[in-house]
Amino acid sequence: MGRPTATINMLEARASLLAKLRSFLEARQSLEVDVPVIATAPASDPWLDSFTVHDPAGFHIGYLLSSPETYLKRLLSEHPYPLHSIGKAYRANEDGPQHAIEFTMLEWYRPTAERPFEEMICEMQDLIETLTEFGRPEVVSYRELFNSVFGLNPHDAEANDLVQFASDLLGSKAAATMDLDSLLNVLFATKVEPHLVNHIVIDFPVIQSALARTGIVDGKSVAKRAELYIGGSEIANGYYELSDVVEQSERFEKDHHRREALHRPILPTDQALLNALKKGLPESYGVALGVDRLLKVVTNAKTLSECMTFTGHL
Amino acid sequence: MASFSTNEFKSGLKILMDGDPCTIVENEFVKPGKGQAFNRVKIKNLKTGRIVEKTFKSGDSVEAADVMDLDMEYLYTDGDFYHFMMTDGSFEQHAAETKVVGDVVKWLKEQEIYVITLFNGAPLAVTPPNHIELEVIETDPGLKGDTAQGGSKPAILSTGATVNVPLFIEVGEVLRIDTRTGDYVSRAIKK
Repeated sequence: MGRPTATINMLEARASLLAKLRSFLEARQSLEVDVPVIATAPASDPWLDSFTVHDPAGFHIGYLLSSPETYLKRLLSEHPYPLHSIGKAYRANEDGPQHAIEFTMLEWYRPTAERPFEEMICEMQDLIETLTEFGRPEVVSYRELFNSVFGLNPHDAEANDLVQFASDLLGSKAAATMDLDSLLNVLFATKVEPHLVNHIVIDFPVIQSALARTGIVDGKSVAKRAELYIGGSEIANGYYELSDVVEQSERFEKDHHRREALHRPILPTDQALLNALKKGLPESYGVALGVDRLLKVVTNAKTLSECMTFTGHL
Repeated sequence: MASFSTNEFKSGLKILMDGDPCTIVENEFVKPGKGQAFNRVKIKNLKTGRIVEKTFKSGDSVEAADVMDLDMEYLYTDGDFYHFMMTDGSFEQHAAETKVVGDVVKWLKEQEIYVITLFNGAPLAVTPPNHIELEVIETDPGLKGDTAQGGSKPAILSTGATVNVPLFIEVGEVLRIDTRTGDYVSRAIKK
Protein backbone atom coordinates (compact mmCIF):
# COMPACT_ATOMS: atom_id res chain seq x y z
CA MET A 1 0.00 0.00 0.00
CA GLY A 2 1.12 3.49 -0.79
CA ARG A 3 4.06 2.50 -2.95
CA PRO A 4 4.38 3.71 -6.56
CA THR A 5 2.65 1.46 -9.09
CA ALA A 6 4.88 2.29 -12.06
CA THR A 7 8.27 0.61 -12.49
CA ILE A 8 11.29 2.77 -13.23
CA ASN A 9 11.05 1.72 -16.91
CA MET A 10 7.45 2.86 -16.98
CA LEU A 11 8.32 6.17 -15.32
CA GLU A 12 10.93 6.73 -18.03
CA ALA A 13 8.48 5.81 -20.78
CA ARG A 14 5.95 8.18 -19.24
CA ALA A 15 8.40 11.06 -19.03
CA SER A 16 9.51 10.44 -22.58
CA LEU A 17 5.94 10.34 -23.92
CA LEU A 18 5.04 13.58 -22.12
CA ALA A 19 8.15 15.25 -23.53
CA LYS A 20 7.35 14.03 -27.03
CA LEU A 21 3.75 15.25 -26.84
CA ARG A 22 4.96 18.66 -25.70
CA SER A 23 7.59 18.97 -28.39
CA PHE A 24 5.11 17.84 -31.06
CA LEU A 25 2.74 20.65 -30.07
CA GLU A 26 5.45 23.25 -29.47
CA ALA A 27 6.84 22.58 -32.93
CA ARG A 28 3.37 23.48 -34.18
CA GLN A 29 3.40 26.80 -32.33
CA SER A 30 0.99 25.70 -29.64
CA LEU A 31 1.15 27.51 -26.31
CA GLU A 32 1.04 25.37 -23.20
CA VAL A 33 -1.36 26.75 -20.62
CA ASP A 34 -1.88 25.74 -17.07
CA VAL A 35 -5.54 25.76 -16.04
CA PRO A 36 -7.22 25.34 -12.64
CA VAL A 37 -8.31 21.88 -11.64
CA ILE A 38 -11.47 23.19 -9.97
CA ALA A 39 -14.29 24.44 -12.15
CA THR A 40 -17.43 26.30 -11.12
CA ALA A 41 -19.63 24.20 -13.38
CA PRO A 42 -19.15 20.56 -14.35
CA ALA A 43 -19.46 19.05 -17.82
CA SER A 44 -23.10 18.59 -18.75
CA ASP A 45 -22.72 15.15 -20.35
CA PRO A 46 -25.52 12.96 -19.01
CA TRP A 47 -23.17 10.03 -18.39
CA LEU A 48 -20.35 11.87 -16.72
CA ASP A 49 -20.07 12.18 -12.96
CA SER A 50 -17.90 14.96 -11.59
CA PHE A 51 -16.45 15.13 -8.11
CA THR A 52 -17.70 18.02 -6.06
CA VAL A 53 -15.29 20.09 -4.00
CA HIS A 54 -16.16 21.40 -0.55
CA ASP A 55 -14.18 23.60 1.78
CA PRO A 56 -13.51 22.48 5.38
CA ALA A 57 -16.69 24.19 6.56
CA GLY A 58 -18.68 22.12 4.09
CA PHE A 59 -19.40 24.93 1.62
CA HIS A 60 -19.58 23.98 -2.02
CA ILE A 61 -16.58 25.32 -3.95
CA GLY A 62 -16.94 23.71 -7.35
CA TYR A 63 -16.14 20.55 -9.29
CA LEU A 64 -12.95 18.75 -10.20
CA LEU A 65 -12.36 19.12 -13.92
CA SER A 66 -13.50 16.23 -16.04
CA SER A 67 -11.65 17.93 -18.91
CA PRO A 68 -10.03 21.36 -19.29
CA GLU A 69 -12.41 22.20 -22.15
CA THR A 70 -14.23 25.05 -20.45
CA TYR A 71 -11.00 26.85 -19.49
CA LEU A 72 -9.34 26.33 -22.86
CA LYS A 73 -12.37 27.64 -24.74
CA ARG A 74 -12.56 30.65 -22.44
CA LEU A 75 -8.89 31.33 -23.18
CA LEU A 76 -9.46 30.82 -26.87
CA SER A 77 -12.23 33.39 -27.02
CA GLU A 78 -9.82 35.97 -25.55
CA HIS A 79 -6.63 34.84 -27.28
CA PRO A 80 -7.24 33.03 -30.54
CA TYR A 81 -3.97 31.09 -30.55
CA PRO A 82 -3.22 27.37 -30.63
CA LEU A 83 -3.32 26.25 -27.00
CA HIS A 84 -2.77 23.05 -25.11
CA SER A 85 -2.90 21.85 -21.56
CA ILE A 86 -1.53 18.69 -19.95
CA GLY A 87 -2.99 18.00 -16.58
CA LYS A 88 -5.10 15.82 -14.37
CA ALA A 89 -8.75 15.20 -15.08
CA TYR A 90 -11.25 13.49 -12.80
CA ARG A 91 -14.28 11.35 -13.42
CA ALA A 92 -16.17 9.78 -10.56
CA ASN A 93 -17.27 6.15 -10.72
CA GLU A 94 -14.95 5.29 -13.59
CA ASP A 95 -12.67 2.55 -12.46
CA GLY A 96 -11.47 -0.47 -14.38
CA PRO A 97 -8.69 -1.85 -16.55
CA GLN A 98 -9.15 1.08 -18.97
CA HIS A 99 -10.34 3.68 -16.48
CA ALA A 100 -9.17 5.57 -13.45
CA ILE A 101 -10.98 8.30 -11.57
CA GLU A 102 -7.87 10.52 -11.82
CA PHE A 103 -5.95 10.49 -15.06
CA THR A 104 -3.74 12.66 -17.24
CA MET A 105 -5.31 14.43 -20.15
CA LEU A 106 -3.77 16.35 -22.98
CA GLU A 107 -6.17 18.69 -24.66
CA TRP A 108 -5.25 20.96 -27.52
CA TYR A 109 -7.17 23.57 -29.51
CA ARG A 110 -6.32 25.15 -32.78
CA PRO A 111 -8.15 28.09 -34.30
CA THR A 112 -8.19 27.67 -38.05
CA ALA A 113 -10.46 28.95 -40.76
CA GLU A 114 -9.49 26.43 -43.37
CA ARG A 115 -11.14 23.03 -43.33
CA PRO A 116 -10.81 22.60 -39.54
CA PHE A 117 -12.24 19.08 -39.51
CA GLU A 118 -9.83 17.73 -42.11
CA GLU A 119 -6.93 19.54 -40.49
CA MET A 120 -7.79 18.04 -37.15
CA ILE A 121 -7.86 14.49 -38.50
CA CYS A 122 -4.55 15.09 -40.21
CA GLU A 123 -2.98 16.43 -37.03
CA MET A 124 -4.20 13.45 -35.02
CA GLN A 125 -2.70 11.15 -37.67
CA ASP A 126 0.57 13.12 -37.64
CA LEU A 127 0.80 12.81 -33.89
CA ILE A 128 0.44 9.03 -33.86
CA GLU A 129 2.72 8.59 -36.85
CA THR A 130 5.42 10.79 -35.31
CA LEU A 131 5.25 9.65 -31.70
CA THR A 132 4.54 5.94 -31.94
CA GLU A 133 5.45 2.94 -34.03
CA PHE A 134 1.87 2.21 -34.99
CA GLY A 135 2.01 4.14 -38.27
CA ARG A 136 -0.59 6.48 -39.68
CA PRO A 137 -4.11 5.72 -38.39
CA GLU A 138 -6.68 4.81 -41.00
CA VAL A 139 -9.74 7.04 -41.26
CA VAL A 140 -13.10 5.30 -41.37
CA SER A 141 -16.63 6.57 -40.91
CA TYR A 142 -18.87 5.54 -38.05
CA ARG A 143 -21.57 4.71 -40.59
CA GLU A 144 -19.33 2.36 -42.55
CA LEU A 145 -18.25 0.49 -39.40
CA PHE A 146 -21.71 0.26 -37.93
CA ASN A 147 -23.18 -0.84 -41.22
CA SER A 148 -20.58 -3.56 -41.71
CA VAL A 149 -21.40 -5.11 -38.32
CA PHE A 150 -25.15 -4.55 -38.02
CA GLY A 151 -26.21 -4.04 -41.64
CA LEU A 152 -27.91 -0.73 -41.09
CA ASN A 153 -27.23 2.97 -41.31
CA PRO A 154 -26.76 4.34 -37.78
CA HIS A 155 -27.84 7.81 -38.92
CA ASP A 156 -31.28 6.46 -39.91
CA ALA A 157 -31.64 3.96 -37.10
CA GLU A 158 -34.25 4.29 -34.43
CA ALA A 159 -34.11 2.70 -31.01
CA ASN A 160 -36.49 -0.04 -32.16
CA ASP A 161 -34.10 -1.16 -34.90
CA LEU A 162 -31.32 -1.68 -32.39
CA VAL A 163 -33.13 -3.32 -29.50
CA GLN A 164 -32.80 -6.79 -31.02
CA PHE A 165 -28.99 -6.50 -31.21
CA ALA A 166 -28.74 -5.14 -27.69
CA SER A 167 -31.01 -7.90 -26.41
CA ASP A 168 -28.36 -10.46 -27.29
CA LEU A 169 -25.95 -8.60 -25.04
CA LEU A 170 -28.09 -7.35 -22.20
CA GLY A 171 -31.25 -9.39 -22.27
CA SER A 172 -34.49 -8.11 -23.75
CA LYS A 173 -35.74 -6.49 -20.55
CA ALA A 174 -32.70 -4.24 -20.10
CA ALA A 175 -32.43 -3.49 -23.82
CA ALA A 176 -36.05 -2.33 -24.03
CA THR A 177 -35.43 0.41 -21.45
CA MET A 178 -32.53 1.99 -23.34
CA ASP A 179 -32.68 5.04 -25.53
CA LEU A 180 -31.07 5.41 -28.96
CA ASP A 181 -27.86 6.97 -27.63
CA SER A 182 -27.27 4.21 -25.10
CA LEU A 183 -28.09 1.50 -27.63
CA LEU A 184 -25.65 2.95 -30.17
CA ASN A 185 -23.06 3.23 -27.41
CA VAL A 186 -23.24 -0.30 -26.11
CA LEU A 187 -23.33 -1.82 -29.59
CA PHE A 188 -20.42 0.28 -30.83
CA ALA A 189 -18.36 -0.24 -27.68
CA THR A 190 -18.78 -4.02 -27.57
CA LYS A 191 -19.03 -5.02 -31.22
CA VAL A 192 -17.03 -2.43 -33.15
CA GLU A 193 -14.38 -0.88 -30.90
CA PRO A 194 -12.51 -4.12 -30.15
CA HIS A 195 -11.69 -4.37 -33.89
CA LEU A 196 -10.23 -0.88 -34.19
CA VAL A 197 -6.47 -1.39 -34.30
CA ASN A 198 -5.24 2.03 -35.31
CA HIS A 199 -8.21 3.93 -36.66
CA ILE A 200 -9.78 7.34 -36.55
CA VAL A 201 -13.54 7.06 -36.60
CA ILE A 202 -15.30 10.12 -38.03
CA ASP A 203 -18.84 11.50 -38.39
CA PHE A 204 -20.68 10.24 -35.33
CA PRO A 205 -24.45 10.04 -34.90
CA VAL A 206 -25.86 13.48 -34.35
CA ILE A 207 -27.25 12.42 -30.97
CA GLN A 208 -23.63 12.06 -29.81
CA SER A 209 -22.54 15.55 -30.82
CA ALA A 210 -21.74 16.76 -27.29
CA LEU A 211 -19.83 19.99 -28.00
CA ALA A 212 -19.08 19.25 -31.65
CA ARG A 213 -20.60 20.88 -34.67
CA THR A 214 -22.94 18.99 -36.90
CA GLY A 215 -22.58 18.73 -40.64
CA ILE A 216 -24.25 17.01 -43.55
CA VAL A 217 -22.59 13.92 -45.03
CA ASP A 218 -24.36 11.91 -47.76
CA GLY A 219 -27.59 13.73 -46.96
CA LYS A 220 -27.47 12.82 -43.26
CA SER A 221 -26.78 15.09 -40.36
CA VAL A 222 -23.69 13.87 -38.45
CA ALA A 223 -21.53 15.03 -35.53
CA LYS A 224 -18.16 16.34 -36.71
CA ARG A 225 -16.21 14.26 -34.24
CA ALA A 226 -13.12 12.17 -34.83
CA GLU A 227 -12.09 9.50 -32.35
CA LEU A 228 -8.79 7.72 -32.34
CA TYR A 229 -8.69 4.07 -31.33
CA ILE A 230 -5.56 1.99 -30.88
CA GLY A 231 -5.68 -1.66 -29.92
CA GLY A 232 -9.44 -1.51 -29.34
CA SER A 233 -9.32 1.34 -26.88
CA GLU A 234 -10.35 4.93 -27.20
CA ILE A 235 -7.26 7.15 -27.08
CA ALA A 236 -8.34 10.58 -28.27
CA ASN A 237 -11.48 12.45 -29.15
CA GLY A 238 -11.50 15.42 -31.51
CA TYR A 239 -14.27 17.94 -32.14
CA TYR A 240 -14.85 20.53 -34.77
CA GLU A 241 -15.92 22.86 -32.02
CA LEU A 242 -19.38 24.25 -31.76
CA SER A 243 -19.20 28.05 -31.48
CA ASP A 244 -22.87 28.93 -31.83
CA VAL A 245 -23.98 30.12 -28.40
CA VAL A 246 -27.68 29.53 -29.09
CA GLU A 247 -27.13 25.94 -30.15
CA GLN A 248 -24.75 25.38 -27.24
CA SER A 249 -27.28 26.53 -24.68
CA GLU A 250 -29.95 24.36 -26.34
CA ARG A 251 -27.65 21.37 -25.98
CA PHE A 252 -27.05 22.15 -22.33
CA GLU A 253 -30.84 22.24 -21.92
CA LYS A 254 -31.14 18.85 -23.61
CA ASP A 255 -28.46 17.37 -21.37
CA HIS A 256 -30.31 18.70 -18.33
CA HIS A 257 -33.54 17.10 -19.48
CA ARG A 258 -31.80 13.85 -20.22
CA ARG A 259 -30.24 13.86 -16.77
CA GLU A 260 -33.65 14.52 -15.29
CA ALA A 261 -35.17 11.64 -17.24
CA LEU A 262 -32.37 9.36 -16.07
CA HIS A 263 -32.84 10.45 -12.46
CA ARG A 264 -29.29 11.73 -12.32
CA PRO A 265 -28.27 14.86 -10.39
CA ILE A 266 -29.10 18.14 -12.11
CA LEU A 267 -26.05 20.35 -12.47
CA PRO A 268 -25.47 24.07 -12.88
CA THR A 269 -24.99 25.35 -16.42
CA ASP A 270 -21.51 26.39 -17.45
CA GLN A 271 -22.37 30.06 -17.85
CA ALA A 272 -18.72 31.06 -18.27
CA LEU A 273 -18.46 28.86 -21.34
CA LEU A 274 -21.64 30.34 -22.79
CA ASN A 275 -20.24 33.84 -22.17
CA ALA A 276 -17.08 32.88 -24.02
CA LEU A 277 -19.12 31.64 -26.98
CA LYS A 278 -21.14 34.84 -26.87
CA LYS A 279 -17.93 36.86 -27.03
CA GLY A 280 -16.93 34.71 -29.98
CA LEU A 281 -15.04 31.46 -30.26
CA PRO A 282 -12.89 31.36 -33.40
CA GLU A 283 -13.43 28.57 -35.92
CA SER A 284 -11.43 25.88 -34.24
CA TYR A 285 -10.98 22.26 -33.42
CA GLY A 286 -10.05 20.64 -30.16
CA VAL A 287 -8.68 17.22 -29.31
CA ALA A 288 -8.58 15.49 -25.92
CA LEU A 289 -6.10 12.67 -25.51
CA GLY A 290 -5.79 10.21 -22.65
CA VAL A 291 -2.07 10.22 -21.91
CA ASP A 292 -2.18 7.12 -19.68
CA ARG A 293 -4.08 5.17 -22.33
CA LEU A 294 -1.63 6.18 -25.03
CA LEU A 295 1.23 5.17 -22.73
CA LYS A 296 -0.49 1.83 -22.16
CA VAL A 297 -0.66 0.98 -25.86
CA VAL A 298 2.81 2.36 -26.55
CA THR A 299 4.39 0.23 -23.80
CA ASN A 300 2.05 -2.70 -24.47
CA ALA A 301 1.09 -2.75 -20.80
CA LYS A 302 -1.75 -4.95 -19.59
CA THR A 303 -3.47 -2.50 -17.26
CA LEU A 304 -3.79 1.22 -17.00
CA SER A 305 -2.71 1.19 -13.37
CA GLU A 306 0.80 -0.07 -14.18
CA CYS A 307 1.19 3.02 -16.42
CA MET A 308 0.31 5.43 -13.65
CA THR A 309 2.83 6.69 -11.14
CA PHE A 310 0.51 5.97 -8.24
CA THR A 311 -2.93 4.41 -8.19
CA GLY A 312 -5.54 3.60 -5.64
CA HIS A 313 -4.74 6.61 -3.49
CA LEU A 314 -8.16 8.17 -3.85
CA MET B 1 -33.58 -11.14 -1.53
CA ALA B 2 -30.06 -9.76 -1.45
CA SER B 3 -28.67 -8.24 -4.62
CA PHE B 4 -25.39 -6.93 -5.97
CA SER B 5 -24.84 -3.74 -7.92
CA THR B 6 -22.47 -3.89 -10.90
CA ASN B 7 -19.89 -1.89 -8.93
CA GLU B 8 -19.68 -4.78 -6.47
CA PHE B 9 -18.96 -7.25 -9.29
CA LYS B 10 -15.76 -9.23 -8.89
CA SER B 11 -14.67 -12.69 -9.81
CA GLY B 12 -16.08 -15.35 -7.56
CA LEU B 13 -19.28 -13.44 -6.80
CA LYS B 14 -22.34 -15.72 -6.86
CA ILE B 15 -25.34 -14.34 -8.68
CA LEU B 16 -28.67 -15.60 -9.96
CA MET B 17 -29.25 -15.54 -13.73
CA ASP B 18 -32.60 -16.76 -15.08
CA GLY B 19 -33.03 -18.68 -11.86
CA ASP B 20 -29.72 -20.51 -12.15
CA PRO B 21 -26.86 -20.03 -9.71
CA CYS B 22 -23.82 -18.55 -11.45
CA THR B 23 -20.40 -17.30 -10.51
CA ILE B 24 -18.62 -14.30 -12.04
CA VAL B 25 -15.43 -15.41 -13.77
CA GLU B 26 -14.34 -12.08 -15.19
CA ASN B 27 -15.67 -8.54 -14.91
CA GLU B 28 -14.70 -5.66 -17.19
CA PHE B 29 -15.81 -2.04 -16.88
CA VAL B 30 -16.55 -0.55 -20.30
CA LYS B 31 -17.25 3.12 -20.80
CA PRO B 32 -17.01 5.19 -23.94
CA GLY B 33 -15.80 8.70 -23.08
CA LYS B 34 -19.18 10.21 -23.77
CA GLY B 35 -21.48 7.30 -23.19
CA GLN B 36 -23.15 5.16 -20.63
CA ALA B 37 -21.00 2.72 -18.69
CA PHE B 38 -21.36 -1.04 -18.96
CA ASN B 39 -19.94 -4.09 -17.30
CA ARG B 40 -18.97 -6.91 -19.60
CA VAL B 41 -19.00 -10.03 -17.52
CA LYS B 42 -18.09 -13.67 -18.06
CA ILE B 43 -20.42 -15.83 -16.03
CA LYS B 44 -20.21 -19.53 -15.28
CA ASN B 45 -23.47 -21.33 -14.75
CA LEU B 46 -22.84 -23.53 -11.73
CA LYS B 47 -25.50 -26.04 -12.78
CA THR B 48 -24.32 -26.62 -16.34
CA GLY B 49 -20.72 -25.46 -16.06
CA ARG B 50 -21.24 -23.36 -19.20
CA ILE B 51 -19.56 -19.95 -19.43
CA VAL B 52 -21.50 -17.15 -21.08
CA GLU B 53 -20.75 -13.47 -21.70
CA LYS B 54 -23.26 -10.92 -20.52
CA THR B 55 -23.36 -7.14 -20.53
CA PHE B 56 -24.93 -5.09 -17.76
CA LYS B 57 -25.66 -1.40 -17.61
CA SER B 58 -23.43 -0.06 -14.83
CA GLY B 59 -25.47 0.66 -11.76
CA ASP B 60 -27.96 -2.13 -12.44
CA SER B 61 -28.21 -4.83 -9.87
CA VAL B 62 -28.64 -8.57 -10.02
CA GLU B 63 -29.97 -10.96 -7.47
CA ALA B 64 -27.45 -12.69 -5.27
CA ALA B 65 -27.46 -16.46 -5.38
CA ASP B 66 -27.60 -18.24 -2.06
CA VAL B 67 -24.58 -20.38 -2.83
CA MET B 68 -22.12 -21.63 -0.22
CA ASP B 69 -19.09 -23.86 -0.41
CA LEU B 70 -18.84 -26.03 2.70
CA ASP B 71 -16.48 -28.77 3.86
CA MET B 72 -18.29 -32.05 4.45
CA GLU B 73 -17.30 -35.61 5.19
CA TYR B 74 -18.66 -38.36 2.96
CA LEU B 75 -20.65 -40.92 4.98
CA TYR B 76 -22.40 -43.46 2.75
CA THR B 77 -24.79 -43.99 -0.13
CA ASP B 78 -28.22 -45.57 0.06
CA GLY B 79 -28.28 -46.13 -3.68
CA ASP B 80 -30.32 -43.01 -4.49
CA PHE B 81 -28.51 -40.42 -2.42
CA TYR B 82 -25.00 -39.76 -1.24
CA HIS B 83 -24.87 -38.57 2.34
CA PHE B 84 -22.42 -36.01 3.64
CA MET B 85 -21.94 -34.49 7.08
CA MET B 86 -20.72 -31.05 8.07
CA THR B 87 -17.27 -30.96 9.63
CA ASP B 88 -18.02 -27.97 11.86
CA GLY B 89 -19.23 -30.18 14.72
CA SER B 90 -22.92 -29.60 13.95
CA PHE B 91 -23.32 -33.15 12.54
CA GLU B 92 -25.70 -31.59 10.03
CA GLN B 93 -26.22 -33.94 7.10
CA HIS B 94 -26.90 -33.27 3.43
CA ALA B 95 -27.98 -35.75 0.78
CA ALA B 96 -26.75 -35.25 -2.78
CA GLU B 97 -28.53 -36.78 -5.75
CA THR B 98 -26.66 -39.05 -8.16
CA LYS B 99 -26.67 -36.39 -10.89
CA VAL B 100 -25.18 -33.84 -8.49
CA VAL B 101 -22.34 -36.18 -7.59
CA GLY B 102 -21.82 -37.06 -11.26
CA ASP B 103 -18.34 -38.26 -12.18
CA VAL B 104 -17.06 -37.49 -8.70
CA VAL B 105 -18.64 -40.79 -7.59
CA LYS B 106 -15.42 -42.56 -8.57
CA TRP B 107 -13.51 -40.47 -6.01
CA LEU B 108 -15.96 -40.90 -3.13
CA LYS B 109 -14.33 -42.43 -0.09
CA GLU B 110 -15.82 -42.69 3.35
CA GLN B 111 -14.43 -40.23 5.93
CA GLU B 112 -12.79 -38.13 3.21
CA ILE B 113 -13.58 -34.37 3.20
CA TYR B 114 -15.26 -32.89 0.11
CA VAL B 115 -16.38 -29.37 -0.76
CA ILE B 116 -20.14 -29.38 -1.16
CA THR B 117 -21.63 -26.41 -2.97
CA LEU B 118 -25.08 -25.68 -1.57
CA PHE B 119 -27.61 -23.70 -3.58
CA ASN B 120 -30.63 -22.61 -1.51
CA GLY B 121 -29.50 -25.15 1.03
CA ALA B 122 -29.41 -28.13 -1.36
CA PRO B 123 -26.25 -29.72 -2.78
CA LEU B 124 -25.45 -28.40 -6.24
CA ALA B 125 -21.97 -29.80 -6.76
CA VAL B 126 -19.40 -32.00 -5.06
CA THR B 127 -15.72 -31.19 -5.44
CA PRO B 128 -13.17 -33.81 -4.36
CA PRO B 129 -9.83 -32.87 -2.81
CA ASN B 130 -7.13 -32.41 -5.46
CA HIS B 131 -5.31 -35.47 -4.16
CA ILE B 132 -6.85 -38.56 -2.66
CA GLU B 133 -5.36 -41.82 -1.36
CA LEU B 134 -7.05 -45.02 -2.53
CA GLU B 135 -6.31 -48.72 -2.29
CA VAL B 136 -5.70 -50.94 -5.31
CA ILE B 137 -8.21 -53.80 -5.36
CA GLU B 138 -7.39 -55.29 -8.73
CA THR B 139 -4.40 -55.17 -11.07
CA ASP B 140 -2.07 -57.55 -12.90
CA PRO B 141 0.70 -58.94 -10.71
CA GLY B 142 3.64 -56.62 -10.24
CA LEU B 143 6.95 -57.30 -11.94
CA LYS B 144 9.61 -58.06 -9.32
CA GLY B 145 12.52 -55.66 -9.31
CA ASP B 146 10.98 -53.43 -11.93
CA THR B 147 10.72 -50.25 -9.88
CA ALA B 148 12.18 -47.70 -12.24
CA GLN B 149 11.28 -48.82 -15.73
CA GLY B 150 8.60 -47.10 -17.76
CA GLY B 151 5.36 -48.72 -18.79
CA SER B 152 2.01 -48.82 -17.10
CA LYS B 153 -1.01 -51.00 -16.55
CA PRO B 154 -4.59 -50.37 -15.44
CA ALA B 155 -5.52 -50.76 -11.80
CA ILE B 156 -8.97 -50.72 -10.22
CA LEU B 157 -9.18 -48.74 -6.98
CA SER B 158 -11.44 -49.19 -3.97
CA THR B 159 -13.86 -46.53 -5.24
CA GLY B 160 -14.24 -48.25 -8.61
CA ALA B 161 -12.04 -45.79 -10.48
CA THR B 162 -9.59 -47.21 -13.00
CA VAL B 163 -6.23 -45.49 -13.29
CA ASN B 164 -3.00 -46.23 -15.08
CA VAL B 165 -0.26 -47.17 -12.64
CA PRO B 166 3.40 -48.21 -12.97
CA LEU B 167 4.05 -51.92 -13.50
CA PHE B 168 5.46 -52.46 -10.00
CA ILE B 169 2.20 -51.57 -8.19
CA GLU B 170 0.46 -54.49 -6.48
CA VAL B 171 -3.00 -55.21 -5.08
CA GLY B 172 -3.43 -53.84 -1.57
CA GLU B 173 -1.13 -50.86 -2.04
CA VAL B 174 -2.47 -47.38 -1.30
CA LEU B 175 -1.86 -44.83 -4.06
CA ARG B 176 -1.99 -41.06 -4.22
CA ILE B 177 -4.19 -39.95 -7.15
CA ASP B 178 -4.74 -36.52 -8.67
CA THR B 179 -8.54 -36.24 -8.95
CA ARG B 180 -8.37 -33.37 -11.45
CA THR B 181 -6.58 -35.46 -14.06
CA GLY B 182 -7.23 -38.98 -12.80
CA ASP B 183 -3.47 -39.60 -12.84
CA TYR B 184 -1.38 -41.72 -10.51
CA VAL B 185 0.95 -39.48 -8.47
CA SER B 186 2.85 -41.78 -6.15
CA ARG B 187 2.56 -44.50 -3.56
CA ALA B 188 0.94 -43.14 -0.43
CA ILE B 189 3.30 -42.33 2.38
CA LYS B 190 2.78 -44.90 5.10
CA LYS B 191 1.49 -43.39 8.30
